[in-house]
Amino acid sequence: MTFVDGAIVVLRVVLPALILPGLVIPLVWVERRVAAFIQDRPGPNRVGPFGLLQSPADIIKLFTKEDVVPDSTDKFLFLLAPSLAVFAALSTFAVVPYGPTVRVAGKVIPMVGADVSIGMLWVFAITSLSVYAIVLAGWSSNDKFSLFGGIRSSAQIISYELAMTTAAAGVVLAAGSFRLTDVVAMQEGAFRLVPFVPRWNVFPQAIGFIVFFVSAFAETNRLPFDLPEAEAELVAGYHTEYSAMRFGSYFLAEYINVIVASAMTATLYFGGWSLPGFHPEGWLGGLLGLLVFAAKTAFFVLVFIWVRWTLPRFRYDQLMRLGWKALLPLSLANLLWVAVLAIWRGSR
Amino acid sequence: MIGPIPLSHVLLASGALFTIGIAGALLRRNAIQIFLSIELMMNAANLALLGYGAALGTQQGQILVFFVIAIAAAEASVGLAIFVALFRHTESIDVNKINLLKW
Amino acid sequence: MERVIFDAAALVAIVFAGLMVAGRDPIKNVLALVVSFFALAVTYVLLLAPFIAALQIIVYAGAILVLFLFVIMLLNVGPERPDGIRRPVQTFLGSLAVVVFAGLLLGMLRTSGARLPAQPEAVAVDALPDPRALGRLLFSDYLLHFEAVSVLLLAALVGAFVLARRENAP
Repeated sequence: MTFVDGAIVVLRVVLPALILPGLVIPLVWVERRVAAFIQDRPGPNRVGPFGLLQSPADIIKLFTKEDVVPDSTDKFLFLLAPSLAVFAALSTFAVVPYGPTVRVAGKVIPMVGADVSIGMLWVFAITSLSVYAIVLAGWSSNDKFSLFGGIRSSAQIISYELAMTTAAAGVVLAAGSFRLTDVVAMQEGAFRLVPFVPRWNVFPQAIGFIVFFVSAFAETNRLPFDLPEAEAELVAGYHTEYSAMRFGSYFLAEYINVIVASAMTATLYFGGWSLPGFHPEGWLGGLLGLLVFAAKTAFFVLVFIWVRWTLPRFRYDQLMRLGWKALLPLSLANLLWVAVLAIWRGSR
Repeated sequence: MIGPIPLSHVLLASGALFTIGIAGALLRRNAIQIFLSIELMMNAANLALLGYGAALGTQQGQILVFFVIAIAAAEASVGLAIFVALFRHTESIDVNKINLLKW
Repeated sequence: MERVIFDAAALVAIVFAGLMVAGRDPIKNVLALVVSFFALAVTYVLLLAPFIAALQIIVYAGAILVLFLFVIMLLNVGPERPDGIRRPVQTFLGSLAVVVFAGLLLGMLRTSGARLPAQPEAVAVDALPDPRALGRLLFSDYLLHFEAVSVLLLAALVGAFVLARRENAP
């Protein structure tokens, strides 16, 4: 393995890890402006042109604020939890293909961090680890509101994890593989009978897509499922006692989770970097694939933001009822439907 | 030999983990600690199973471990439910204090 | 190269398992076990079982240990305090058992060690196997086992629910 090969592997893995947190800064600005637009007010427009410097200013503020660690907390767990949150959020993206496999200067470069045969399982493994970040924050803060927020959030995450995994199992069944590059590859081109419709998974598995997308809201603790953070009810839920950059870490982790959830939706149900009739060649093809992927992800991120400022918050029992009694049976029905489709396609 | 990993290394690691698990199960008072040590022992057994499976070039090791993990999940949930019910009655999970059946 | 990673991961697993057994605070012990299981998952990948490694993280580290954490928080189990009762017989016998067991294990390893039974169809596997092969086996040769385990899980589900329920007199 030459130095160039090693450098390529490192870049494949490290670049997304560095770019994702960087993307959060304009994302916060976008969220605040879109929120303002929906609420018929201007939003940040003083700091810099169109308020673009608002996010960097907030970052500087978070770095320079006093870091308060209350005495009664369990210090080790208190300090560990935010880093766990960021670690889980970033690691999930390691297996998502953000572009096609390109051939540049004689070297084959797959545009994915790690193209493992268990890609989808890795995503769910890391998502189940993110529960620890929240539950430990809630517990170690030694504070009623944090504990409530932490327990609610972890119960919510593990409940919706089931529906999300079963919906994704439908995609795995259709693709015949856990490898996310295989999932994208089977969505290339258009349908045979309906020539202009791309062969995206959302069309045969619309119910699965809805279940997955709604569960993604619950997994990322975004409205309408943000009772754990419940700004008006639980002070700030599980991150009440965190200040300055520790709170910043949770903030960062939440937005990275939103980006990764949108990326997963785009990959599983909307064809990832592929478009019908698009056969990428060389580095230009790679760049175009990356742009298509970024566009699809950006669209879903906008939907995340749009829903946040449109829908009211679910009450906790309504939330649990939705997850267990509505989404889980729907995802099982979707799985059954996909199995029928697979048998029908196989017998043709 | 599975590729470059010698089976003796795997067995040594598995044995060490199992011994640590036994030490935890025999020498701790806290019921939850004992249960955690038992889970550790099961994982040590999983490691040995996978080591042999890879050394013999068969998938059977993985299948067995698959079932062991599923059974461990079932057992953990029932065990912890028992602890919760026990705690409600005795207010303690020190195994030395749970001796209602003693003469 | 793989041997080094395996040795390192196994060492991490053993060290954190030791921390788990020796520690006093149950929550930190659970976290030590999470790290240990993560390291074990790395060793499973090196033993050509990536699917089992993913399952280990999803089920063991991500579900079973979270359950442990919840129960510890529910029962508010604090750090273990020494209760001043000396239990010489118990401690002596326990330690003796551990030492004898360790000795037996080392002896067994030394004599029969890594000897494998004669395998007529020994297949050299050096690529990471596809989970598909595992799935095929699961639904053909091991179908009965699969169905039995699913019934077991159902029984465990019902059992845990009934056991942990508060017995309110109506």
